Amino acid sequence: MTTRRNFVKTGAAVAAGLVLPKGLHAIPPGHAEAIRVGVIGCGGRGTGAARDCMRAADGVEIVALGDVFPDRLEQCRMNLGKLAAENPAIAAKYRVTSERCFSGFDAYQRVLASGVDLVILATPPAFRPAHLAAAIAAGKHVFMEKPVAVDATGVRSVLASSEIARQKGLAIVAGTQRRHSKAYRATIERVHGGAIGEVVSGQVYWNQGGLWMRERKPEWSDTEWQLRNWLYFTWLSGDHICEQHIHNLDVANWIIGAHPVRAVGVGGRQSRTGAAYGHIYDHFAVDFEYPTGARVLSMCRQIDGSANSIGEWFAGTRGRAEPAKGIEGPSAWRYEVADTPGVISNPYVLEHVNLIASIRAGAPLNEGRQVAESTLTAIMGREAAYTGQVVTWDELLNAEQRLVPDVVAFGPLPTPPVPMPGVTKLARTFADV
Amino acid sequence: MQRAATLLLLAMPACHRAPPPGAAEPFPRVAAVFRISIPGTLVNFEMVQVPAGEGVPSFLMGRTELLWDAYDAFMLSTPDPSERSGADAVARPSRPYGAPDYGWGHHGYPTISVPREAAEAFCAWLSARTGVQYRLPTEAEWRHAAALATSARPLTRHRLDSLAWHAGNSGGTTHPAATKRGDALGLFDLFGNAAEWVVTGDGRRVILGGSFRDPPDTVGPDARAPQDDSWNERDPQIPKSRWWLSDGPFAGFRIVRELP
Repeated sequence: MTTRRNFVKTGAAVAAGLVLPKGLHAIPPGHAEAIRVGVIGCGGRGTGAARDCMRAADGVEIVALGDVFPDRLEQCRMNLGKLAAENPAIAAKYRVTSERCFSGFDAYQRVLASGVDLVILATPPAFRPAHLAAAIAAGKHVFMEKPVAVDATGVRSVLASSEIARQKGLAIVAGTQRRHSKAYRATIERVHGGAIGEVVSGQVYWNQGGLWMRERKPEWSDTEWQLRNWLYFTWLSGDHICEQHIHNLDVANWIIGAHPVRAVGVGGRQSRTGAAYGHIYDHFAVDFEYPTGARVLSMCRQIDGSANSIGEWFAGTRGRAEPAKGIEGPSAWRYEVADTPGVISNPYVLEHVNLIASIRAGAPLNEGRQVAESTLTAIMGREAAYTGQVVTWDELLNAEQRLVPDVVAFGPLPTPPVPMPGVTKLARTFADV
Repeated sequence: MQRAATLLLLAMPACHRAPPPGAAEPFPRVAAVFRISIPGTLVNFEMVQVPAGEGVPSFLMGRTELLWDAYDAFMLSTPDPSERSGADAVARPSRPYGAPDYGWGHHGYPTISVPREAAEAFCAWLSARTGVQYRLPTEAEWRHAAALATSARPLTRHRLDSLAWHAGNSGGTTHPAATKRGDALGLFDLFGNAAEWVVTGDGRRVILGGSFRDPPDTVGPDARAPQDDSWNERDPQIPKSRWWLSDGPFAGFRIVRELP
């Protein structure tokens, strides 16, 4: 039986010049059956990822949309429709119909059942582990935004789903787009080749001002208010160290080639103290210790009027590296490749280029474990600050920590307490301090 | 409500930054520098009178590019009851996901990463706050100022280096305003540092003067760059921000005010 997935692979095999078994007809390149894509989570990023996916390759169609909120679904549909109206190349790939637009808490299941090959998971991170598990169980390839979990329970689930995906030959690519940036790849390849010797320390920062906040409307239930302001609730976003700073922590794990084993950290809630900002912190500083002995200082802040700094810097035994730019020292080198018109260099698009190419080549990328480890790294930093304790990788990975409540309908939901060092415990649930 | 701006005629060309910048080039004499406070804030800015030219009446022009200090006052302000509401209300910029100043420096540095509409929204806010109309320069006004600024002597590479932060001396970042010499009009950084939004006759989005990222031979009175999609390529959201250019670290602005 020729399944859709086999069919797609066959087309790619021809394109790659592989010899086909007898009995299969060669399909001219460009005529292979399209990869059908569904979007789960239709906010600004889900909509942007759908656009990036359509820009990434021919033979890709966005066919289904799902979001818990009907208004967000409609905005996404309107914005993608507008892109299609402005751009014939997008129009040919935009095949969403009303019958394949789903809202409500079960929207993700209906997208998965709508005949798609690949899903984009872009809801708030709380739901990622469950959505990934469902997508892999349904045999779908996955692009998923970062972070991929908010607690130890979620990370364990993502690790398990990633292993099942590997066994089933399904692709998983994550929205840690620095992994697909040409500059980062070129610099880190040199570091892995020994250009700065052994990495002994690093600094990774994401210090910026505050982010958007939606004023609560009287008709919103607690659940709706929290979902629409998901940044400010640890059970939804993982706190800003997970939601945002994971990008920089991921680079540290990548360049060192390991995840940290211990973390000590401080943090607090100094400027965003109002109820509108939920219960998350607005600053963290964490010292991560790696199994190689390398130490990485991590800092993240979302406080208006403070100095900005976003990036990663590493020191080795024979030089220094700033992956976005290049290398200093005896092997000094800078990434200075001018963008070529018509050649995609935007890492937000390249991640989809690489995902789709890997599916078509029959060698699916699987970034599941890598992004689960970077997510747990961010959670580790958060927990070091929240609890005030030294947090080790092993105790966190095995911790009874389950922060996501069972939300299946709109209704009352308290704001969890602000975490308190010395009081907050690693093993806890949604409502615990 | 009384919203009159404080308008001071300073005896000497003075700058609020310390230490004082390199002196203006010695000709012609700088006529006057006006220091203007933004009501309700601790922020002030300075303007210089640009003499009239053919088809261009005399006007006041920002002595420096618009600094983050002033833009922050706009961005972080909350609308007060005296502001108009509804369609006439001045919207505030959305919060950027990232660092529009790239961490190069903020206080005393030119505002960057802003599209023309955001620069115009700042002018609308400043006008509402002060009761005086501020706006972006027209391309004709900017070119007139640039011509006067460079008319006395040819703009040699040596002179450009003393006036402008460009790719050959900037190290790839913006620099504090007025840390190069002032030009013949008493303006700072008209060329280089941030490139500057102007209003064009055909409505196209154009920045002038060149920036810290441009090679020296492309920085100066003739530098002109129309906006293209690459200036906002990496904004991963749809719709893309209308308040920030994800890939426009070179795009800033300078304000003008008409004289009665």
